[in-house]
Amino acid sequence: MTAIVPDTLQGALIVSVIDFFLSFVIISGIGVVLALFPLLNRLAHFRMRARPAAATTRAKRAASSGKAVISDNGEGMVEQDDIAAIAAAVLVVMDGAPHRILHIEPTQRSAGWVAEGRVAHHGSHIPKS
Amino acid sequence: MLDQIPIFLQALLDQTGAIHFSFGNLIMIIIGSIMIYLAIAKHYEPLLLVGIGFSCIVANVPGPPDDVPGGQAISALLYAVKDGGLFHYAYMGVEKLIIPPLIFLGVGAMTDFGPMIANPRLVILGAGAHLGIFVALILAKMLGFTLSEAGAIGLIGGADGPMAIFVAVKLAPHLLGPISVAAYSYMALMPMIQPPVMRLLTTKAERQIPMAQSRKVTKLEKIAFPVVIAIIVNLFFPPVAPLITMLMLGNLLKEVGVTDRLSKTAAGGLMNVIIIILTVAIGSTMAADKFLTFQTLEIVVLGLIAFLFGTGSGVVTAKIMNLFLKTKINPLIGSAGIASVPIAARVSHIVAHQENPHNFLIYHAMGPNLAGVFGTAISGGILLALLGVGN
Repeated sequence: MTAIVPDTLQGALIVSVIDFFLSFVIISGIGVVLALFPLLNRLAHFRMRARPAAATTRAKRAASSGKAVISDNGEGMVEQDDIAAIAAAVLVVMDGAPHRILHIEPTQRSAGWVAEGRVAHHGSHIPKS
Repeated sequence: MLDQIPIFLQALLDQTGAIHFSFGNLIMIIIGSIMIYLAIAKHYEPLLLVGIGFSCIVANVPGPPDDVPGGQAISALLYAVKDGGLFHYAYMGVEKLIIPPLIFLGVGAMTDFGPMIANPRLVILGAGAHLGIFVALILAKMLGFTLSEAGAIGLIGGADGPMAIFVAVKLAPHLLGPISVAAYSYMALMPMIQPPVMRLLTTKAERQIPMAQSRKVTKLEKIAFPVVIAIIVNLFFPPVAPLITMLMLGNLLKEVGVTDRLSKTAAGGLMNVIIIILTVAIGSTMAADKFLTFQTLEIVVLGLIAFLFGTGSGVVTAKIMNLFLKTKINPLIGSAGIASVPIAARVSHIVAHQENPHNFLIYHAMGPNLAGVFGTAISGGILLALLGVGN
């Protein structure tokens, strides 16, 4: 690759003028691209609005087939009051941004697995005669 | 027997560097000491100046003469740079352009580009504050430097250390030492260089202009930003693509939220290691015989001129923008467009805060400050392309 401009004072002036002018043009171009970024948020909002609609459809389908949308632990449904409190807490944490709660379940659900693991662990240390 | 003692002592003395200690070495040791003083007492970029100052001091403590006939006395540090080992590879990391992209990776991982995304109008200041590059370039040519050397010297005015090194290595590798020292020293001294120019070009009323809070930038925008910018830069500015690509990779690692380990390493441990290597490599180039030349003096003065004009042109660009804007911007943020993240933005904030204690410009100044990084990269990329060293 060879130099495009001559190694003279005139060359230095040409390089400077072209470079300074192009810098403005290109930086402005980046500014224009950045000005379009809020459109990304609109796109995301649009997608988030579309999702609850799809979720509602799924819920209706589930209801018609007799399945619960919000799961239980097999020992009883999650209380409606608890769902409201959890939804409010999530809304605060998300700072009002669009969101969807996918799944709520009682914390005891995993207790059985933990207990089973503990039994297995303790069992492994039983002294053998 | 006794008459042999002076001969033995002389032979012993010859093995040390003491008799080769010159006045130039003394001056450079004083310069190195001033750098360390400024870092400790004034807090001027201590991460850079402590290492550069210390290496400068050590590089000017002469050792025994070189083995070659008529060889010069060079310091142990320079000997290590020359003959392999850690210091040799530290310097190679700069010369082979490995360190500058890694610095940009770390900078990207610790930078929030939100202020730049939030206020796209202000990115123009990132170009406006680079007039200094071209003033220094033209002056350097008038002083007799080649156009490539003048371009490398001009880039000091971009106030972006890694970019100045990157362009210097490509355009004028023999000037790498003075250019990198001038660039980093002036960046550290910005709190002293910029405020007088900023005050000179603005009225008290202008310096007190408050700025409204910017909009909130979403995570989606912050994730899209590095990807979009990396595409634009690789497409239009291949000469500087390695730097900006790494900057954007570091930023993406930070913003995605699923690569915390990598972003913390890039911004923390890796960055610290690279800074240590960089400062040692730069400081070791400051040997008196190489550094105390008229050419170095010219480069240092041209660098200062570049910084002064860059600061001034940024402020003037902001004032010109105010002629067309309904909501006026504080022209002090214009000087932040010179890059040198985040020092220049901090200077804008401090000067404005002194005028109006209720004015907090740091977030607003970060927009042009970050745009300045791209402005320097664009200027450097065009320069490399025009001067025929694009790849």
